[in-house]
Amino acid sequence: MSNDLSVTPAEHASGPTTPPTPGGESRPGGPQDGGARRRRAGGRAGKGSRNRPNWGAGIAVTIWLLIVAIPLYVLVTASFQTQAGYAAGGPLSLPTTFTLDNFTNAFDQGFGRYFLNTVVVTVAVVGIVVLLVPPLSYAIVRNRSRATTGIFRMFLLGLAVPASAVIVPIFYVISVVGLYDNLIGVILPTAAFCLPICTIILSGSMRDITNELYEAMALDGASPRRVFMQLVLPLSKGGVATIVVYSALQAWNGFLFPLILTQSESTKVITLGLFNFQTQYGVNIPGLLAAVVMSMIPILLVYLFARRALVQGLMGVGGK
Amino acid sequence: MTTRAPQGRTRPGAADLQVGRPGVVWALPAALFFGLFALLPMVLVLVLSFTQWSGLGSPEFVGTENWSRLLDDPVMLKSIGLSLVLTALGVVTQTPVAMLLGVWAAGHQWNRAVLSAIFFVPLLLSAAAVSVLWRAVLDPNFGVPAQMEWLFGDGNLFGNQSTAIAVLVFVSLWQFTPLHALIYQGAAKAVPPMLYEAAEIDGAGRVRSFFAITLPQLRNTMITSVILMVVGGLTTFDTVLILTNGGPGTDTTITAFYMYQKAFRGFDFGLASAIAVVLVVAATAISLVMVRLSGYDKMRSELEGV
Amino acid sequence: MNTRTRKSLTAAAVASALVLPLAACSSGDSGGSSRPENEIHVMVYGDATNKVEQQMVDTFNKTSDVKVVLDTIPGADYQQKLQTIIDTNAAPDVFFNWGGGSIEPFVDADLLLPLDDFIAEDPQLQDAFLPAVFNSAVIDGTPYGIPMRGTQPVMLFHNKQVLADAGIEAPQTWDELLAAVETLKAQGVTPIALGGADQWPTLMWYQYAFDRVAGPELFEKALAGEPDVWDSAESHEALDKLSALIDAGAFGTNFDSVKFTDGGSPALLRTGKAAFELMGSWNYSTHYDVDPAWTDANLGYTAFPAVDGGKGDAANITGNTNNFYSVLADTRYPDAVRDFLTLMYSDEFVEAQLAIGNLPTTTNTEQFLDQAASPEYAAFQFDLVKDAPHFQMSWDQAFPPAAGTPLKIAVQQFFSGQIDADGFIAAMKSLPASR
Repeated sequence: MSNDLSVTPAEHASGPTTPPTPGGESRPGGPQDGGARRRRAGGRAGKGSRNRPNWGAGIAVTIWLLIVAIPLYVLVTASFQTQAGYAAGGPLSLPTTFTLDNFTNAFDQGFGRYFLNTVVVTVAVVGIVVLLVPPLSYAIVRNRSRATTGIFRMFLLGLAVPASAVIVPIFYVISVVGLYDNLIGVILPTAAFCLPICTIILSGSMRDITNELYEAMALDGASPRRVFMQLVLPLSKGGVATIVVYSALQAWNGFLFPLILTQSESTKVITLGLFNFQTQYGVNIPGLLAAVVMSMIPILLVYLFARRALVQGLMGVGGK
Repeated sequence: MTTRAPQGRTRPGAADLQVGRPGVVWALPAALFFGLFALLPMVLVLVLSFTQWSGLGSPEFVGTENWSRLLDDPVMLKSIGLSLVLTALGVVTQTPVAMLLGVWAAGHQWNRAVLSAIFFVPLLLSAAAVSVLWRAVLDPNFGVPAQMEWLFGDGNLFGNQSTAIAVLVFVSLWQFTPLHALIYQGAAKAVPPMLYEAAEIDGAGRVRSFFAITLPQLRNTMITSVILMVVGGLTTFDTVLILTNGGPGTDTTITAFYMYQKAFRGFDFGLASAIAVVLVVAATAISLVMVRLSGYDKMRSELEGV
Repeated sequence: MNTRTRKSLTAAAVASALVLPLAACSSGDSGGSSRPENEIHVMVYGDATNKVEQQMVDTFNKTSDVKVVLDTIPGADYQQKLQTIIDTNAAPDVFFNWGGGSIEPFVDADLLLPLDDFIAEDPQLQDAFLPAVFNSAVIDGTPYGIPMRGTQPVMLFHNKQVLADAGIEAPQTWDELLAAVETLKAQGVTPIALGGADQWPTLMWYQYAFDRVAGPELFEKALAGEPDVWDSAESHEALDKLSALIDAGAFGTNFDSVKFTDGGSPALLRTGKAAFELMGSWNYSTHYDVDPAWTDANLGYTAFPAVDGGKGDAANITGNTNNFYSVLADTRYPDAVRDFLTLMYSDEFVEAQLAIGNLPTTTNTEQFLDQAASPEYAAFQFDLVKDAPHFQMSWDQAFPPAAGTPLKIAVQQFFSGQIDADGFIAAMKSLPASR
């Protein structure tokens, strides 16, 4: 009955040996945090008193770096070449021409506006997700009724629904409601389809807040809302950071919803704008890749800022 | 079916089990929002699967005709096989790489942080960008295959089924490993060093402690990651669409892509809806089974009620 | 308990705040997507030619009370987008299409305005265009489209240097082509560059093979609902000829991994790794944009070779006859639309199209040919189209859209050897026919 399959015997055994702290060994984002970061955790290398360099890891990582870097090399070098230079030399060659025209040209094509639209969509989607998912995860984790379990199962089911399967009915729902060719019409379905994964991530993170911590709040006679604001949210910062980055990424790179649900220049987003570089019979690869580089930078910044919190957020995902 | 006594399983006498127990109402806004945009359309899709409709005029009810056509369709059956193969290959390749990368990245050396940021970039690219880049890199006459003919032969990677599948698996690996590595990284960071130190005292080497300590601690993370990979693999087709277009011929036409093709290229929304229903049912069943088996929905930290 | 009740009420209020506006919107009409007054929407395929389209819109808007708004849709998904919205409030008044099969489903659903009335009011709307081209948008005897871009016949391009080095002339007949293939292979050159991964470049070979061997009637019959013609002797002969070419190694071995659209196959031609490419007339500007010097010096072009003993006239051509503007049946401002359409044969239009390398199909084009970016090329192309007894529309546009995918798959599979001639014939027979 209490056979929680998520715990292996090994973990049980190691439980009592850890120092007695609230939440024990697997507290992701709480007071243990500083200690966790200072601890030389990690698998293969650099832990404990090992001083031997890890050659295996070094080689493996170098190979992976090559694999990752080659297309990125093409991405960066192509964006600074002229179309003629790129076509003459091929993708892998060292650039013989240098130009910033691709970048300025993108703005002539209207990228300033596409950029703005994409930012609006992303901020709104993230906003909706951050408004809806924490209370939802809180309810799923702490309210053990059939209703919330059922709701969780519903989201699991939702995880399996691909956006393209339902795009036509969504189009009709959006048109009927009068939101066609309107950024709101793009924002709402995009946010909705982020919910399942965000819920799973944040619930995973929240379930590590143990009863003892809730008990501490109980002494004050705290309402669920106070518990939420003062205990749960602060301790879930990592999880929230994760869902922010995830939903931002979905919104930023979303293509299907803007394609079907918008039409005019004024509502175009970057992913649609990239197609400006594709004619019926050819692709302006340097132009396209320059636009890609530009559109990648904001989301990369979001990731860099959120990275630390992100890792902590995902620590709870596996159910530890 | 899990039912729970409202008090959960806590130590007897623990004062306030009711503290911080929110009502169902907390979950309602999200549930309603999601229901409207994802579930209601899915119901409509189910209804559509019994009709014939090209997008013009009104859908025409045709009973189970789409379903019987589907059962007889060799491309459909082939696509199911392809979906399973690609998903399985994806899991088998991405899991070890992501796990190793994640565990490696959990180390605190500064160069790991820098490299991790670089490794993350593929995930930030849209499908269009990824496909343009990889087609350029893999161009048979001007890309990497042309430079390495000893390995790639005539470079006809997209012209054979086996190599086309390999390319798809490889590009997915390139693009999505960072996400899963991130998940593993978080979990690896939470492994207490006490365990490693104990192992070291016992004389365990690096490899041994990886298998004896790190791996078991990552078990739940692995389940989450695999669920995401499986569901993702079954339902996304952006990479297939732009990289191989289901080709050569129909050799990489996975079910999700076939559905898109029938809907938006063949304008046969009834049949496409039937395929969509099949896809959703299969993916849901698989994820529910995995969740059940792993006890994932028991929403508790293992510390509670032990 | 108080707080809990209050909490529930707040939550309920928030939930209803989300839902009520939606309900309010839907109780009204779908007002959000209906157009403002005095505005008509023209929807076009998004690419470099949009410059000209925008120019025409601006010219029109200067003198019209009813304003035109131009919507450009990303290319790859144009047909999909169009079909999704054409039966809704969001449908454009005027939209770009390829004529033929691409508008047939709309005609069948009574969504398009027959243009007879417009033509009665302004006969130039028909007479100003080359008939072979105009007829591509005539369905069941009723005109539904006005040509609005340039014509794109398919020609055989070659690298002059490569041919010179191999000591051969551009082939005039099929047998000469086969001989050239042998010579070039001996030189280590891929005879013919083919962007097989795009599938439609491969289709062009079928179009010409069938037209030369069997004449245009075979395809017309197949399209009209007699699929058995695919099993005829001529059909088999055309397929045999293609097989011979493929088996002779004319296309190399990795063509299914090469695309035209990302510059893969043009690069083969340009770098001298291949000698020929069968491609539409846009190919000239494709090469010119990359290397003008090379294009001027070394890009050669001829009509497709004749087939001795073939039923088709050697002057027949295939390709995209043009692109067309069709009109929505319930457009609110038909007069404004008609006036807009008359711009499509104006001198300004012709000059603008020529300036970007397109070849319009109006009768006054000939006067402006020497203003074209490459006058010699423009003149060659124009004569090709003018003198052609028959201009066969690309098969994937002639068939209704639903046939596009199975057609291209069969085309690819036969070329790569996955299916044989009988397999191809079976696939063609089961394509959703036209009317």
